[in-house]
Amino acid sequence: MIDSKEASAALADIDDIVQRVKQSQLYELASLAAVWWGVLVFAANLVTWLWPVYAVYAWVVVDVVGVGGLVVLRVLNPPQHLGGAAASIRLLLVFVLFFAFGYLCTNVIGHFGPRQLGAFWPLYFMLFYTLAGLWFGYAFVAIGLGIAALTLIGFFYIGEAFPLWMAFVNGGGLILGGLWMRRI
Amino acid sequence: MAELDDIIHQPLRLKIMAALNALPVSAGLEFSRLKKLTGATDGNLGAHIETLAKAGYVSVDKAFVGKKPQTTVTATAAGRGAFARHVATLQEIIAGKQV
Repeated sequence: MIDSKEASAALADIDDIVQRVKQSQLYELASLAAVWWGVLVFAANLVTWLWPVYAVYAWVVVDVVGVGGLVVLRVLNPPQHLGGAAASIRLLLVFVLFFAFGYLCTNVIGHFGPRQLGAFWPLYFMLFYTLAGLWFGYAFVAIGLGIAALTLIGFFYIGEAFPLWMAFVNGGGLILGGLWMRRI
Repeated sequence: MAELDDIIHQPLRLKIMAALNALPVSAGLEFSRLKKLTGATDGNLGAHIETLAKAGYVSVDKAFVGKKPQTTVTATAAGRGAFARHVATLQEIIAGKQV
């Protein structure tokens, strides 16, 4: 028989591995979501660069398809803990509030041009990504800050090719970040 | 008085069972994932998985994904039960119900 100190150490080992499994599962799911958004954002930025007149439609389609994809991902990977359905509704509300607040800032309070919009949405998205990372793992922080920094560099220093820059920085960054998450 | 499970109590086997038990029932972990999570070597991990499989605590499925072999380890119902009893015994020891 072991003593209480050894028993505590064994339970601590169990807690540690359970946390690692949860982190690993979260990264796996987040990785799929990041790659999904990355592909869509890459495509929408390319459309914005090549055919600016269709940019608005491209982004509306990307937002709808993107959120739809996340819903499918959530349905295929249902939350394991109790109250999972309530958590799913909260997540959906987060997206509604996210887009509503973004719209309010860019179209009601301010009247952003295409270049400002091209910088605002990724920065806004990456702000949430970085904040989430403070609770859910450093990979979110690294991806969020990295893409935000490159977005600002592009906004201030890249000229006409800004949408192309964003296709690779935002779209490509999310794809690479998502693939990196799977390897952690 | 409950006894500690000698098969599960070994440190690496405890980690393997804890990792598998954290998954939904019937979900498994790939060998490479389990290796990364436990920090074990290939040989060591393989040997301990075999011990757990012989005890009926885990099932091992080998399949090919494309041309790559993939081994998935899953906790059985017996394994989950044994793990739960083992954890309960550890908690009893800490609470001073067992010496």
